[in-house]
Amino acid sequence: MKRRTPPKAAAARWATRLSARVERVLALHPEADRDNVRHTLILLEQPPLERLQRSLIRGRATAILQK
Amino acid sequence: MIVGLSAATMQGAPVVTQDVDLWFKNLGDQKMSAALQEAGAAYVPPSTNNPPMLAGTGAELFDIVLRMDGLGTFSEEIKNCIEVPLDRLKLKVLRLDRILASKIAANRPKDKLTIPVLRDALAATQSIKRRTKN
Repeated sequence: MKRRTPPKAAAARWATRLSARVERVLALHPEADRDNVRHTLILLEQPPLERLQRSLIRGRATAILQK
Repeated sequence: MIVGLSAATMQGAPVVTQDVDLWFKNLGDQKMSAALQEAGAAYVPPSTNNPPMLAGTGAELFDIVLRMDGLGTFSEEIKNCIEVPLDRLKLKVLRLDRILASKIAANRPKDKLTIPVLRDALAATQSIKRRTKN
């Protein structure tokens, strides 16, 4: 299914909110890697089974490429 | 119970995995055989050269785990899981902090790569939970 592209303003609001959440996590855990935190917060917006499916697709594709 | 990186990814950790590790209380459970049969798969008991495995269509993605480095027994660790809804069922998924503890204990080269990512994912998820509670 083709995903609808969010309107520019909505995308900008989402990015601002995400950035603020990343900063809040980093304020509590300054040792954490910014990218890891950002990716986790993005993934948490997806349902658990979709997260698993994405991880398996990427993991298995990587394994095939390494063979 | 789902364990390992597949369990971690279900909880938001940005890691990739090739299979879903399953930890059973009792590998000889009749309900397990019936469920596998329904999925077109079967349990293959361990032999000299092979660990216990699941075989057949629908089982390619799944691996059996007998124990987890650094963790307690199945009965102890089942208390440390979350439940993820799947249709009418609730999947038992080992909590992220326990997966991290197991990776730290195992400390294999491939674990060393994922430990910092799991640690950061745990920090992010805990911050969110803390915020939701307040």
